Amino acid sequence: MPFEMRFEPIFRAAAAVRSRSPPDPWYSPSPRNGGARGSSPRAQRVPPGPVPPRSVRAELAGPGPAPAAVGPGGAARRPPWRRGLAVLPGRAVVRGPAGGSQPRPRWGRAAYSSAPAVSGKEGPQQREASVRRRGRTPQFAVPPRTERMAVDQDWSSVYPTAAAFKPASVPLPIRMGYPVKRGVPPPKEGNLELIKIPNFLHLTPPAIKKHCAALKDFCTEWPSALDSDEKCEQHFPIETETVDYVSSGTSIRNPKARVVTLRVKLSNLNLDDHAKKKLVKLVGERYCRETDVLTIVTDRCPLRRQNYDYGMHLLTVLYHESWKTEKWESEKSEEDMEEYIWENSRSQKNALDTLLRIKASENVSNVSKEELLGSEVVTNYRNSVIALKNEGETESNMSQYKESVKKLLNIQA
Amino acid sequence: MTYEQAHPPHYIAHRKGWLSLHTGNLHGEAGAAERAVEDSFLRRFMYGTFPGLLADEVVLKRRGNLLVICALLSRALPPSKIYFLVGYTETLLSHFYKCPVRLELQTVPARVVYKYL
Repeated sequence: MPFEMRFEPIFRAAAAVRSRSPPDPWYSPSPRNGGARGSSPRAQRVPPGPVPPRSVRAELAGPGPAPAAVGPGGAARRPPWRRGLAVLPGRAVVRGPAGGSQPRPRWGRAAYSSAPAVSGKEGPQQREASVRRRGRTPQFAVPPRTERMAVDQDWSSVYPTAAAFKPASVPLPIRMGYPVKRGVPPPKEGNLELIKIPNFLHLTPPAIKKHCAALKDFCTEWPSALDSDEKCEQHFPIETETVDYVSSGTSIRNPKARVVTLRVKLSNLNLDDHAKKKLVKLVGERYCRETDVLTIVTDRCPLRRQNYDYGMHLLTVLYHESWKTEKWESEKSEEDMEEYIWENSRSQKNALDTLLRIKASENVSNVSKEELLGSEVVTNYRNSVIALKNEGETESNMSQYKESVKKLLNIQA
Repeated sequence: MTYEQAHPPHYIAHRKGWLSLHTGNLHGEAGAAERAVEDSFLRRFMYGTFPGLLADEVVLKRRGNLLVICALLSRALPPSKIYFLVGYTETLLSHFYKCPVRLELQTVPARVVYKYL
């Protein structure tokens, strides 16, 4: 059975018992005043809303059942701890809640319309009228604080911290909600929608200025020597990134907070050509060619400090390993090369072969390979082929290749 | 019926807000189940501690560790008794949940009617 259904009968039974027996002096709800239904028309302070149908109107307007007599006369039915504290019949004025340490049987009502916590700033300033005997219940409602607010008041003292919306403290005629047909949105008094939403009434610009002024004492200046990004990078080449998570709940632990990201530009590291190529091969996907940034993300340890130490350890190991040359690295073949190298490639062999055959057919004396390699046409051809292979096919690359081939084979136009 | 009762649940995020705000239901955040259990207990607790006084549903807000319970009460009890109940609720719940609990009350003379059926 769902939880609600199990407890519903108990609540209903309790309510029934309460309504049957004479009201306990502790809880003496007067039907005129409280309850779920409505109050007497005289006390109606809610602006006219939807008009109730006739049946309900009759019920509201009629006099409520007379509050049961509980007082000195009902001493016999009062609970035992009450009987000793009888109130003298002639007393008219009762002290405020400050003197309410002795529980007094309250028959009749001195109504306190303003909520104890609504106008928290002014305190419980209940204007306590004389305690009436059973019957008449004057409604001495304390007017909301908004009516006494100056236009130039200090708003940060009305809402010093984040708090729920208090209609009696906010002097704005706000309405919120979907209107009934041919009606207006409901007003702000008792509007649950306005309470539900988070409000920023405590964060007006003057309030934020006060926060900043208070926090200034705890801040230090940014070092003046680090006034540009380049200088920051030059002095602090390794960037460490960690994330802190804030959530609502009784636990501050979040497993995602242990991830540490280290970023460093390889140009800031002391690497020669071989070391850089080896490092890039070692890290694989963690290196970005466009920005020359190596990113290491560590999350294999349970704590953030451990992950940071592990990341720095990885960086150190990579650096030292890339400077070492192993024996098997000499077996690096053409497929392992990162970029195209023209020396000892097929293109070079083909070009040389062609040139030698041309020279032989022209019956020129034996020209050595080195001369051919050093000649301008061959250098041009080499450059254009390297550009094509490394950068891909672009307009300029292709035209350059065309020109170099024409010069190589001595073809005019 | 109050505004809350008059709108069925498919109007949430269209005409109604949420009665309970916490980070547990966000994407990638944990703790939704714990908050839901706490919410149901808190609503039952409020319903029982302020018998017949709740004019509308209880709104629960969580700011970090702090738990704010916003309740709409009717004016059936004198303030001294309401003060006692507020103190009782706050201390008991703080000890129970090991987090600061704050009660923010608003009283209305009668249940705010949105429409009649």
